[in-house]
Amino acid sequence: MPPPKPPPKNAAAPLPDYKTIAAQWAAAKRAKEVADADRLRKGSSSTSDDATAAAAAAKSDITQEQERMTARERTRARLESGRRRGYQSRWAWTAAFWAWLLCVHAVGIAYFTSGFLLTRLVLEEKSVCAAPPAALGGAVGEGVDGDGGLLPAWPGKGTMEGGCWHPRTFDRAVVVVIDALRYDFAVPVEDDEAFHNAFPFLWETAVREPNRAFLRPFIADPPTTTLQRLKGLTTGTLPTFVDLGSSFSGTAIDEDNLLMQFKDAGKKIVHLGDDTWEALFPGYFEGNLSRAYDSFNVWDLHTVDNGVIEHIFPAMEKRNDWDVLIGHCLGVDHAGHRYGPNHPEMTKKLRQMDGFIRDLADTMDDKTVLIVMGDHGMDSKGDHGGESEDEVEAALWMYSPKGIFGRTKPEYATPPATAKTRPVNQIDLVPTLAMLMGIPIPFNNLGRPIEEAFAGAAGNSWANLAAAERTAAAGIKRYQSSYFTARGIEQTSGPGSPNELWNRAESLISKGKKQDWEAIFSAFAAYQEENLQICKGLWARFDLKNMAIGIAVMALGVIALLVYISKGVDDDAIDDEELDLAEKSLELQGVKPDASETPSDSLERRLISAALLGATPGFLGGVISSFVSGAGDWYRGSGIAALTSIGAVLVSMYELQETITNIFPRTAWGWMAVVFTVSQSIGFASNSYTIWEDSILLFFITTFGFVSALSALKIPSKADRYLAIYHSVVFALLGRVASFSKLCREEQMPYCTSTYYASSTTSTSAPWQLIIPFLVSVILPSILKAYLQPTRSYEGLAPAWIGYVFRTGLFMAALYWVLDAADNGNWIPGLPDKTLKNISVYTAQMVLGLALVAGTTAFVWAPPCVSIVTSASPSEPTRAQVAILGYANAHGARYLLLPLNLLAACILLSKPMGAGALGLMAWQILALLEILDLNNLTTSPIGPVMLAVLGTFHFFKTGHQAVLSTIQWDAAFIPLFTIRYPWSPLILAAAAVPLLVLWKAGPRRRGVLEAVSRALGVFVAYFAVESLATMAWAGHLRRHLMLYRVFGPRFMVAAVVLLVVDVVGIVVSLMGVFGWPE
Amino acid sequence: MPLVEPITMSTTLAKGAAAQAQAQAAFSKTAPVFPATTLRPVQIRSTPLAQTARHALPALLAVLFGARFRALVADPVSAMATALPLVAALQVTYAVLCLPAPGSTQGGGGGARKAQKPRPGESIKRRSADAGAPNAVATSLLSLVLSLLVSPFLYAAMILFGAPFLTHSAHTFLCAAHLAVLALFPLFFVHGVDGSAWAVVGSFGAPLDETFGGLLGGVVGAWLGAVPIPLDWDREWQRWPVTILCGLYGGYILGRVVGGTLVWGKSF
Repeated sequence: MPPPKPPPKNAAAPLPDYKTIAAQWAAAKRAKEVADADRLRKGSSSTSDDATAAAAAAKSDITQEQERMTARERTRARLESGRRRGYQSRWAWTAAFWAWLLCVHAVGIAYFTSGFLLTRLVLEEKSVCAAPPAALGGAVGEGVDGDGGLLPAWPGKGTMEGGCWHPRTFDRAVVVVIDALRYDFAVPVEDDEAFHNAFPFLWETAVREPNRAFLRPFIADPPTTTLQRLKGLTTGTLPTFVDLGSSFSGTAIDEDNLLMQFKDAGKKIVHLGDDTWEALFPGYFEGNLSRAYDSFNVWDLHTVDNGVIEHIFPAMEKRNDWDVLIGHCLGVDHAGHRYGPNHPEMTKKLRQMDGFIRDLADTMDDKTVLIVMGDHGMDSKGDHGGESEDEVEAALWMYSPKGIFGRTKPEYATPPATAKTRPVNQIDLVPTLAMLMGIPIPFNNLGRPIEEAFAGAAGNSWANLAAAERTAAAGIKRYQSSYFTARGIEQTSGPGSPNELWNRAESLISKGKKQDWEAIFSAFAAYQEENLQICKGLWARFDLKNMAIGIAVMALGVIALLVYISKGVDDDAIDDEELDLAEKSLELQGVKPDASETPSDSLERRLISAALLGATPGFLGGVISSFVSGAGDWYRGSGIAALTSIGAVLVSMYELQETITNIFPRTAWGWMAVVFTVSQSIGFASNSYTIWEDSILLFFITTFGFVSALSALKIPSKADRYLAIYHSVVFALLGRVASFSKLCREEQMPYCTSTYYASSTTSTSAPWQLIIPFLVSVILPSILKAYLQPTRSYEGLAPAWIGYVFRTGLFMAALYWVLDAADNGNWIPGLPDKTLKNISVYTAQMVLGLALVAGTTAFVWAPPCVSIVTSASPSEPTRAQVAILGYANAHGARYLLLPLNLLAACILLSKPMGAGALGLMAWQILALLEILDLNNLTTSPIGPVMLAVLGTFHFFKTGHQAVLSTIQWDAAFIPLFTIRYPWSPLILAAAAVPLLVLWKAGPRRRGVLEAVSRALGVFVAYFAVESLATMAWAGHLRRHLMLYRVFGPRFMVAAVVLLVVDVVGIVVSLMGVFGWPE
Repeated sequence: MPLVEPITMSTTLAKGAAAQAQAQAAFSKTAPVFPATTLRPVQIRSTPLAQTARHALPALLAVLFGARFRALVADPVSAMATALPLVAALQVTYAVLCLPAPGSTQGGGGGARKAQKPRPGESIKRRSADAGAPNAVATSLLSLVLSLLVSPFLYAAMILFGAPFLTHSAHTFLCAAHLAVLALFPLFFVHGVDGSAWAVVGSFGAPLDETFGGLLGGVVGAWLGAVPIPLDWDREWQRWPVTILCGLYGGYILGRVVGGTLVWGKSF
C-alpha cells in the first residue's frame, strides 16, 4: 500500500517538473533564436552583396551565444543540485520530526493501553486431588469418619478413580464446541429465518429424554472471541479484556485449568478442529489421534468441520485410547462471518451439525458424557467480539445415555424458549465437568455446578447438589483468600459480603441428622454469585499510573504539535517572480544566501536535537530508577523519555519565539476548525454522541459547505463567486448522498436502517448494489477530468492514466465484485468448485498491481500534467509563440495521481456500497480543494480539518462502526487470503493532504515542504486531539456501563487511526513531495 | 461567453487574474473587499409606539412559544401550522410599526445606495416619508410572500444537514417556514430583493441591528438546536423538530434584542 519510495540514488533520474518545463522552455527559446537569426540572414542576403560575410558573422554570433548559454546552464545546474541537496536535507529533518511524533503517539497510546486494558493477577497455585478445599465426607454427624463433609463417604474418595472431591460419574467426556452456536439456533422459533429450526436435535432430545439430555442458554463473558472464550471455558475464570501478554506472543495458558488437571491425572486428551486449542495447550494432545486445522481462513466453511467429522467417528471406535475428546467446529462461525446468519449456507451448516450430533450421540455409552456447546453467539451480521446480547448467548447441551440428569422443578423439563430464562454462565462448565469426571476443580474457578448434572434422575438429590455446590464454593473461597493475599488487599466481612454469606451458609449445616439441603444449596449458591460479582468489579482494576502517563504524553504531544503548526506561514505562500529572479541572480553572482533564509531547516533540526537531548536523561532516569527500586518496570523509561523529550522540544520552540498563545486561531475559519475538533472531542464523553458520530460529521460537513457558500459571496469575480458557491453546494450535497450508505450499530436501533448490505441479517451485497462500482468506473474519471480541465491540466500523462488505466482498474474492481457475488450465490451451477473464486482473486490481484505497483511507478516517472504548445503568434505570424498548458495547476494535477492510485486499491477492497462512498469522497475532496482555493483558504487550518472530517465520515460510510464486531474482516480476503484491515477512507484522506497545498499552485510555489508538513500537522492534530479525548474519556468513564460497548472501542479506533494517519503521512504524503523542486 | 464545464461549472479560462487579485487583497489587508456596498444598521423608528413594540413583540413571541410548547411537543405539525399565521402577524406588526418605512431616508434601511434600486412595494409607493404606513403594510405582505417562497430552499438545506429525507416532510417544512418568517422576513422588508445588499448580509458583512442580529441568532440557534437530538434521554421534547424550533426562537429573540441594543452598529 505505501508506494515504493523513489530511492535517493534515483532522485535525479526523473526530472523534477520545473526542470522539465525549464528544459522545454530553453529548447523553445533556442529554436526561436535560430529562427530569428535565419530571418535576419534572409533579409540581408536579398539586399546586400556581402551576404556571406553577414551570414558568417551571424553564425559566429550564434556560436558565441550558445557557448555563453552552456556556461550559464552549467552554473545553473550546479546551483540547482545545491538547492536539491538543501531541499533533501530539509526533507530528511522534517521526516525525522514526524517519525519522532509517531514515536510520541505510540508511547502515549501504549502506556494508556497498558493501564486501561484490564489486568488480572495470574496465580500459580494448582488444585491437587489430595487437598480438597473443604471437608468432603462422610457426612456431618455420621459418626466415626464424619469429617465435616456433606456426603456419606464414597468408595475411592479422594482418588482419581472414585472422584477426588466429589463422587465420579463418567469415565470419558466428548466435548464438541460448535463455534458461534447462538442459543436461538438450537430452539424452535416460529419464523422462516435461515438460521432457525435447522438444528432441532438438541431441543428434541432434551424434551424427549430429559434424564439423558438437557439444553440451557450458555452465557459467555465478554470479550466474545474464541481465544478468550476457550480460556474462560477451561480455567473457569474471567479473561480480561485483551490479555496483552498472551494474545501477542505466547498464547499457552499457564494457569490451572481443566485440561491441565486431566493431563496431571494421567488422562489422555484428543483434539480435533480449530488450532486455537493447540496454541493454548501445546503438547497436551495425543498426537496419533488429534488433528488441528487452520482457524484463520474465515471464508473456508468446510475444511475444519469435515476434518472433525471425518476423524471423530474412528476415534469413537478406539475409546480406550483416550479419556477426553475435544472437537471444535468452525463452519457456523465462518458462515456467519462470511454471509451473515440469514443465508442458505447457514441453514446447510446447521443441518450438517444436526446430523453430525445425531450420529455422535448414537455412539455414546453409559460411561461417556457428550457436551455440545457454542463458545459465543453472533450478532445480526454474524460477527462477534463484543458484549451485545446476541453475541454472549450461546447454547449448552449435555447428553448421556446413562440417564442421570434431572430437573429440580417440573417446569424446568422443557428447555428455556429464549436465552433470557435460566441461563448458566460458561465458567460453570468447569466445576461441573471436573466433578463429573472426578478430577479436582481448577484453582482459579469461579463457577458453580450446573444443577441438572447433579440433581439426580428424579431431580431431588439435594444432598448431592448441596455437596457439589459447597465444594465449588470452598474452592472459590480458597482462591479468593490467595488472591487477596497476593495483591495485599483486605477482605471485607460486613453484611452482604462474601465472607458473611459463607459463614451464614456454613452455619446452616446442622450437627443433627436432618439437614435442610435445599437451603444449604441456595446459601452456597448465593455466596458464589456474590463472589463472582465482586470479581467482575475487581478485575475492572485499572492501572491509573500508566493511564495518567499515557494521557500526559498524548496531551503534551498535542501541545507540541499545535505549537509546531502555528508557526507563521503566510510569508512563503506567494509566488513572487521578481523575488525569485533577484534571488537567482544573486546566487549566480556567488552570493551565498544567508542562513536565516531557510528557517525551517534549523527549526526541524533543532527540534530533533532537542527531542533526542531531552529523551536521553528521561530514558536513563527511568531505567535507573526502576533498576534501583527493583520494580522491574524498566519500560517506564520510554514514558519518562517521551515526557522529557516533548518538554525539551517545547522549550526549544519557545526559544524560537514560538509562544504558546500563537496556537489560537486568528480567523473565523480557524475557529471553525477548532469548534469542529473540540466539540466532537467533548462529545466523546457521551455515549449518544459517540453512537451517532456519523450523523454529527454530516452535520459538520454541511455546516462547512453552508458557510463557505455564504463566504463565497465576498469573492469579487462573478464567475469565481458562482463557482465557489457551486462547489460548496456540491460538497454538502455529496455528503448527504453518501450518508445513505449506512451500517447501523446495535445502539442506533431502531432509528437507523442499514443499507450497506442486502438486508439486516446478512453480510452480502444486494444485486443492485453491484451496479454502483460500475457507475463509479464510468463517472469518476470524467469528474476528475472536469476538475483538471479548467486549468488545462488534463495533459501529459493525465488523459492516458485517468481516462484509461484508472478507469480500467475501477471497471475490473467492479467486475471482481460481480464474480464474487456469482461465486457466493452459486449463480452458475455447472462450474467446478473453485473456478470463479480463482478468477476473481486474479482479477483483484491485477487491480492491486495496476493501482499500487504500476501506479506508483507511473507517479514517480510522470512528467507534470502540462503540454508545451508552439504556435504562430497572431500579431507577428513569423514569430513562434510558446504556451504552457496546465501551468497553473502543474503540481496539483501531478500529485493527484498518487491518491488516485490508492483510491483504486481502496475501492477494490470495499464492498460495492463502499465503492460508491469512496467515489463520492474523492469528488468531495476535489470540491473541497476548489472551495479552499477560491476562498483563498489554502493556508487555513480548516482545509486539513475538513479533510480529516471527511475521512472519518467516510469511515462510517464504508460500512464501519466504532464497534469491535463491525470490522470488515473480509476486505483482506480479497487479494491475498490474509487478514488485514484497511482504513481506506482515512488512508485516502491522509494521502490527499499535500493536495491542499499543491492544488492550483504554480510551479514556482515556494516552501512546499513546509506548507505540506504544516497541513499534515493540522490534519494529524485533529486525530491526535480525538485520540486524546477518547483516551481521557475512556479513562474517566472506566466504570461506565457502556465502557466496553462505546467508549473503549472508540478509543481503540481513534488510537489505531492516529497511528495509521501518522504512518501514511510519512510514507505517502511526505514521500510524495520528496525530490520536490524548490 | 466562455464555455462552461458541466461538472465543475467552471469556465475554461485560467483563473490567474482573479487569483492574483485575491492574493493582492489578502496581501495588503487594507484593500477594499468586494462587494463595496456598505449597509447602515437599521434604526428602529423613534415613535413611542415603535419603541414599545420593539420590546413588547419579542416578549410576546417568547410568551407565545412558551404557551404553545406543550402542544408543540405533543403534536409538532399542528402546533407549528396553527402558530405560523400568528407569528407572521406578529412579524408584520413588527415590520410596520418598528422598522423604518421602506424608502424613507430616516434610519436608512437599505443604506446609502437604496435610492437607485427599486424594491418590492416601491412601485406603489410615493417617495415621501410621511406616507409610510400603507406602503409598509403592502411591503410587509410582499416580504412575507417572499419569505415563504424561500422556505423550500431552507427545507432543502435542513435535509442536507441531516433532517429526515422522506419522512417527517411536514415537520421539516413547517420548521423551515418558521425560520423564514422569523429570521428572513424583516430582512426582506428592509432590503427587498436587492441582490448586493443580500450578498453583504449573506457574507456576514452587514452591521448588527435587529434584523441582522435576528437572522444570526435564529440560524445559530437552530444550528445549536440540533445538539440535544442524539442524546438518549428519551424525552418527548427531543422529537424532531422541537429542539430546532426552540433554538430558533430563543436565538432569534436573543439576537434581535441584543442586535438592536448592546451590539448595535458593530460589524464583524
